[in-house]
Amino acid sequence: MKISLRDITIDYDNLRAIDDLSLEFHEGEIHALVGENGAGKSSLMSVLYGLNLNYSGKILFNEKEIIWSSPKDAIQHGIGMVHQHFMLIDELSVLENIILGYEPDDALGFINFAKIQTGIKALLKLYDINMNLGELVTNLSVAQKQMVEIIKLLFRNAKVLILDEPTAVLTPNETEMFFKTLRNFKLEKKIIILITHKIDEVMSISDHVSILRNGKLINSSKLKQTTKKNIEEQIVGKKLPKLNLRRGIIEEKKILEVNSLRLSTRFSHSQPIDLFIKQGEILGIAGVSGNGQNELIESILGVRKVLSGSIEYLQEDITHKSTRYRRIKGISFIPQDRRKDGLAIKSKVWENVITINLSDQKFSIGPFVKKKSIKNYANQLINEYSIKVDNPNSSVLTMSGGNMQKLVVARELSNNFPLIIIENPTWGIDVGSIAFIHQKILDIKAKGAAILLVSNELDEIEVLADSAVVMYEGKISKRITKDTKFRENIASKMLSGVHFTENING
Amino acid sequence: MQSKKILKILRPIIEIFYAFFSIFILIFLLLYLSDANFSLAFKGFVNSSIGGRNNAYLFSTLSKMALISGMAIAALVAFRGGLFNIGGEGQLVVGGFACAFTGLLVSDFGFIGILISIISGMLAGATWAILSGFLTVYMGVPLLVGSLLLNYPARFITSYLVSHPFRDVQSGLPQTFLLSKNVWLPYFPNTRLDLGILIIFFVYVICLIIFYYTKHGYHSKNMGHSLSYVKLSGLPTKKIVFKTLALSGAIAGIVGSIAVLGIHHRFTDGMLVQPLYAWTGIIAALLVNLNLWFVPLAGFFFAAIYTGAAGMERIAQVPKEIATVIQAVIILFVVGKLGSLTNLSSSKGDKDD
Repeated sequence: MKISLRDITIDYDNLRAIDDLSLEFHEGEIHALVGENGAGKSSLMSVLYGLNLNYSGKILFNEKEIIWSSPKDAIQHGIGMVHQHFMLIDELSVLENIILGYEPDDALGFINFAKIQTGIKALLKLYDINMNLGELVTNLSVAQKQMVEIIKLLFRNAKVLILDEPTAVLTPNETEMFFKTLRNFKLEKKIIILITHKIDEVMSISDHVSILRNGKLINSSKLKQTTKKNIEEQIVGKKLPKLNLRRGIIEEKKILEVNSLRLSTRFSHSQPIDLFIKQGEILGIAGVSGNGQNELIESILGVRKVLSGSIEYLQEDITHKSTRYRRIKGISFIPQDRRKDGLAIKSKVWENVITINLSDQKFSIGPFVKKKSIKNYANQLINEYSIKVDNPNSSVLTMSGGNMQKLVVARELSNNFPLIIIENPTWGIDVGSIAFIHQKILDIKAKGAAILLVSNELDEIEVLADSAVVMYEGKISKRITKDTKFRENIASKMLSGVHFTENING
Repeated sequence: MQSKKILKILRPIIEIFYAFFSIFILIFLLLYLSDANFSLAFKGFVNSSIGGRNNAYLFSTLSKMALISGMAIAALVAFRGGLFNIGGEGQLVVGGFACAFTGLLVSDFGFIGILISIISGMLAGATWAILSGFLTVYMGVPLLVGSLLLNYPARFITSYLVSHPFRDVQSGLPQTFLLSKNVWLPYFPNTRLDLGILIIFFVYVICLIIFYYTKHGYHSKNMGHSLSYVKLSGLPTKKIVFKTLALSGAIAGIVGSIAVLGIHHRFTDGMLVQPLYAWTGIIAALLVNLNLWFVPLAGFFFAAIYTGAAGMERIAQVPKEIATVIQAVIILFVVGKLGSLTNLSSSKGDKDD
């Protein structure tokens, strides 16, 4: 089987998202689709699986033109997509989730679960997938949830699997397992389209790679015919700047001190946490998301009550102060979920550049805002951080993920506060923006800021952090200092819970 | 490309045309069922919403428009901040009663008396709204529930007050004494339209300024779009909540005061509840997708529909129930149509992340 996209053009209001693009996908191939955010990957895929019906050009199945009427139509023709945000119902079992919306009922409307179960088990066996169908989805790990999404598609006889950033939420180990399953799909002649930012993964698993930039196809070739460096440069459109690793000086002064802090987490065995960050230091907190990092951050910010222990900021006990107090005293925060926590995305860009500092004389007089100077300030940030957006009056919604993140980073770093808390700053954004944001973080550190960097990307911790701890099930490991085996030391602590506990106790 | 663009512009027009066409078909059917004279019914509708001798009916539509727009602004102020204050009715009633009560006490002060009465109406409305905010912020009662439930005590307490302690027994109805003419809102020269509409216009302008030019407007808009962002940014969310609710309640109180000082000149039990001003205001606010600029238009639309349906009933002997159904049909279609249009336009930007 072969799917071709011919001369696809998509126009949004005054933006050409996809410009006369043609691509072919062959069966038994893993086809990686890479490009910066806003390059048009999602737009292109939304045409293929029937969400966007407003395009010009053709979709061909084995050279026969097909026009979708809805995503449901596309699914019935064997095209399925797994989104970054799972669409599962936690309270239902795996089996129920798999058949939801596609229940094979008999003439009387009854569902024969036993029969369906055998069918799905055969599927699982075929692809060598391990899954307990009776388990409630809420008890599954993220990796398993993702697998449920994929089984859902297999159950609907999908021949084409579109996977949007599937490994963003997986540990290195889980990623390896996941790739094994993908290879099994290949053997069964599926077409797999992998949307990703991670070039290393493209190199290790894909057969074919297509690079998009600004809605145009830059290159589409067999993986063998290109190199990692080539792909990276084609994505960005220029050579990536090398990080300036000027590290500044780490002072002895402790900016943040957390003393035997007990977090209220869902982990029953969480232990008191101790950590400190010195002026000019970046402390990395490694570990897979959901191991208490978020609770720790929320406690430091004051949006979550702590059970016991203390948090000291600049020698002041702030354990029981309000979020507002802490932020005004100089704690910046770059959250992971930029769309929900970092921005009011339905507001305009200029309405997102000022938060607690609105009362500054620069931005307001009495009860009135100085619109003009806020907009000027927004323009200044847009230039300084090369944020791609029409103008400060545009809605944040019109920006790509990478540019939204740059906006958050610009706002939070421009305060020049002594402490900056950063949570997965490069989650789901493109290589160009990643390099840019990393550089900004290093620059502010060199200027003397103390930074708490929570990240589940080992690379990120390795490049940026001066020392690191690993977080697992609400516990925190010993401090790992930067030396030649920095990465290995962190990775070994991340590997498994058992290993981890031994390390703590031993 | 070119034809697509033309289609894009034409499509909403065709859709609106289609909506109106459907409305007429349905109304036609309803009238047919009720055995009414079509042309008479239509004439009655138009005449009594925007016509009348000396434009008398137009003025009554305008006076209704003022109240509905006012309640729409009250709802919008809260909704924009993400606060689903659906207790406009309670705030309106409490405001109206407070104004009528004060009006009786200050009837000798003329213009100043009017001012004092309106201010006391505002304060009462604001207090009632703050009460629901208090339940939400400190007791964990969802605002949607708290504000709604507070409508009932507002209704029944005022009902008790005008039935017993403050009743004008002579009148035979549960209502307060008639206010002295000193504190009636003056009419526009040679009309029966009171100055209330000017007061609402003033409120409208003030709200536009608050929305687009003040710190409070800046913060409350962002709070409406993302509470967690505003909270994590360290903004004083509680303060913003109470300020927003107080403003919303105060506006409802003003509307109640205008109804008392401009139209009824006393507070009668149920006079602010029966016409569904508060609920119509909420629908009007939603109809314009919380865009304050268009509130007067929506207010006029709803007022015209109400007075028009009443006229249809009076002139063409269309049964009251059918007239009400017709009214609902028009509202449903227009709300549905405009609603879908605005949804489409707001989802366009959401792409490619």
